[in-house]
Amino acid sequence: MSFQVPIGPQHPALKEPISLRMTVEGEVITDVDIRLGYNHRGLEKLAEEKNWIQNIYLVERICGICSHSHATCYVQGVEKLMELAPPRRGLYIRYLVSELERIHSHLLWLGVAGHEAGFDSFFMYTWRDREIVMDLLEMISGNRVHYAINTLGGVRRDLDEGQKAKILEGMVTLRKRSEYYFHIGANEPSFVGRIAGVGLLPKDKVVALCAVGPTARASGWARDVRKEDPYAVYGELDFEVATADTCDVLGRVVVRVKELLESYKLCEQMVRNLPAGDIAVKAPRKVKPGEVVSRYEAPRGENIHYIKANGTDKPERLKVRAPTLANYPATVEMLRKGFIADIPLIFAAIDPCICCAERAVTLVKAGSGEESVVRMSDLRRQAIARHQNAPVKRNAVWPL
Amino acid sequence: MKIAAFLPELLRHLFKKPATVDYPFKKLEVPKDFRGTPYLNTEMCIVCRACERDCPAEAIEIASVNEAEKRFRMVIHNDRCVHCAQCVDSCPTTPKAMHMDRLFEIADDDRHKMKKDWIYVRAVLKPKAAAPAPQAAGPTA
Amino acid sequence: MAVVRTLLYLVVYPGLLFLFVYSTFCEWFDRKVYARLQNRMGPTHTGRFGLLQPIADFFKLMAKEDIVPEASDKRLFTVLPIIGLAVVSTAGLLLPVWNFDLANPGLTSFSGDIIVVLYLLSLPTLILFLAAWSSTNPFSTIGGARVLTMLFGYEVPLFLTILSPAILADSWRLAEIAAFYQAKPLLLLTNLLGFLVAVIAVQAKLERTPFDIPHAETEIVGGTFTEYSGKKLALFRLTFDIELVISSGLLATVFLGGFPGGAVVGFIHFVVKTLFVIFLLSLLRALTSRIRIDQVVSFAWKYLAPLAVLQLLVAILLKGLLS
Repeated sequence: MSFQVPIGPQHPALKEPISLRMTVEGEVITDVDIRLGYNHRGLEKLAEEKNWIQNIYLVERICGICSHSHATCYVQGVEKLMELAPPRRGLYIRYLVSELERIHSHLLWLGVAGHEAGFDSFFMYTWRDREIVMDLLEMISGNRVHYAINTLGGVRRDLDEGQKAKILEGMVTLRKRSEYYFHIGANEPSFVGRIAGVGLLPKDKVVALCAVGPTARASGWARDVRKEDPYAVYGELDFEVATADTCDVLGRVVVRVKELLESYKLCEQMVRNLPAGDIAVKAPRKVKPGEVVSRYEAPRGENIHYIKANGTDKPERLKVRAPTLANYPATVEMLRKGFIADIPLIFAAIDPCICCAERAVTLVKAGSGEESVVRMSDLRRQAIARHQNAPVKRNAVWPL
Repeated sequence: MKIAAFLPELLRHLFKKPATVDYPFKKLEVPKDFRGTPYLNTEMCIVCRACERDCPAEAIEIASVNEAEKRFRMVIHNDRCVHCAQCVDSCPTTPKAMHMDRLFEIADDDRHKMKKDWIYVRAVLKPKAAAPAPQAAGPTA
Repeated sequence: MAVVRTLLYLVVYPGLLFLFVYSTFCEWFDRKVYARLQNRMGPTHTGRFGLLQPIADFFKLMAKEDIVPEASDKRLFTVLPIIGLAVVSTAGLLLPVWNFDLANPGLTSFSGDIIVVLYLLSLPTLILFLAAWSSTNPFSTIGGARVLTMLFGYEVPLFLTILSPAILADSWRLAEIAAFYQAKPLLLLTNLLGFLVAVIAVQAKLERTPFDIPHAETEIVGGTFTEYSGKKLALFRLTFDIELVISSGLLATVFLGGFPGGAVVGFIHFVVKTLFVIFLLSLLRALTSRIRIDQVVSFAWKYLAPLAVLQLLVAILLKGLLS
């Protein structure tokens, strides 16, 4: 017997709305369909209405977990357009925050993976340890989630000696705890039994489906923008690209754990070698016409921002390609022939950030399944036509 | 692979103090530079409108109350504020007219109650203390 | 007078009211232990140390809107939670803590009551399956199928391990089994293996991690309970709480030497021993992650069932040696 199981748009395993339609036979999935668009916010259009500085805070709000990666990716691009060279101390602080963010994101993900597998103890322990890095970020930037430490031409806050000592101390504690928990986590049979051999994605499929980030690296495809196209300070730092070749969820856990340990190393290097000097240079308000593509290795994979300037103080076009979007085709491949019980694990294993990836809306006719992209002008015409036919609401009250 | 790998760790935690905090009854200290809610020091404000222009959430509104007396009214809509502190960075005066405090429990059940406003006379700063003119003010001032 | 006594027996002690209070206390204990194992606080604010939290949860659920799905079998859907509660509460009357006389078998303690308790503890599983099936939700349907699949895994090891001490004691009456082991406490050690197998099987019966597959919320939402809300859900949760008490009481009777020493001391024995079993169950819950349904069945038949048979063999051999 084959029937459809709707996972989402509202589902306990999903923290954000997305619709996965599974066709299942018993417990085995035979077909998957992913539907996006439940969380579209029109950010790219909004960005065209705001000036370069305001947009830093706007793109930061594309995502809550990797807020710094979107802001940094955008700021890198705009600095290239403005031909600004931020001071080295500023760059070190910026990428220190981005490594701390990677730590917090991976710890969060490990906890979520534990929760999706029903292993709540692991979840509680990793999230408790994550508080250490959250507190460090709050101390450095003044906030826990939206750090807002980037500005055009550098960063906004400096580090003092006390803060540096606290960061180093935090890294030591985190490394000790992480190593211990990963050791015992990797030895817990019910947990490993749940994630080994689940969600297979062979290397050739990774290449064919353009998977990015830890998802790709777990299949032995060592792609990391920090290593291949070293931006800013990464050329001077010593780190390795973590890979695994088991191609399954276990491999993705291993890759993230290795990256965590690499990130601790990177943070310590950056704090120890923090150069002296200014933290920012002054940025102009307007940008010469031009366009730029900025790449950044977010915790979830490669993040791409395309920015086009037309000589005013506002961008003409901002296009965001979040890593999650690149991983969706691979997810469909991974889910096929899996068990229902593995859906949350496999889907969580790409570390999906759904609202990151919401960039366009496609209308699907419910009856025929026909898809069409509707332009704004068409939508407006339809809305006006609909409005004229509708009866006038006399007693309508604006709710606010 | 061993059976019950987590057992020693679990049993150790049984006799430890919980790591969580009983929030509404006990509170954690926020760090010294925490970005809470913005407020205005009216004595320093020269009404350059740099904060109004750079605010990403359009939470700051400056209107003229009386042109002749150079009297202005600033409203900060805390319901829209995203606590990015760009207004503090954009403020050109020294010392700054815009500040952030460390309040974070500012939720309310009515968005109109979250407005804060000040009516004040524009400050005229001596040339020595005055920072550059508003138009030249860089974002990283 | 006899009528009043019977009524008190059924409604107050050890009937519904006592079971309600004690099972909510056990839920509190379970939650608190689970939280402390995870370095959390657990319930803190309702009553002293959060003791009243499960009761508050129960009454909150009772007050919530009760929705019966349009497509469901409405009569079955409504009546199942009540039957489930009745069945496990009946099983509660049979535990040899109260109202038994070793010499005179009565209505609440008779030869063969161990079989009746096991039967009554099996019924909620079937009721759960029917509840899932009658609510016609795809998640419930999957949950219901999982309930039954799991039943085939853990039921046989559970029966084998619980019955082997009975074989050694040469009795099918719980009170007599307990009395036998009170007389020869050293023999309890021979049942240790069976106790461990039974704890795991009871964990599966109660559908707690690692066997919370039928209502794994990250996979199939509420599973069997997806469509249940309000009063009916509250009754189902109470059913599970009472089942937790009864199963741990059963394990304590069979494997931990029962509850000797009359009404008061026996009751203290009951509380301590059930809490010990519940502590083991909570520990197991914190220790493991949820496994897959196929892993449950293969685990049960590869490891649990052979161990249970081994325990049975040990019991039979020992009995031959002793006689």
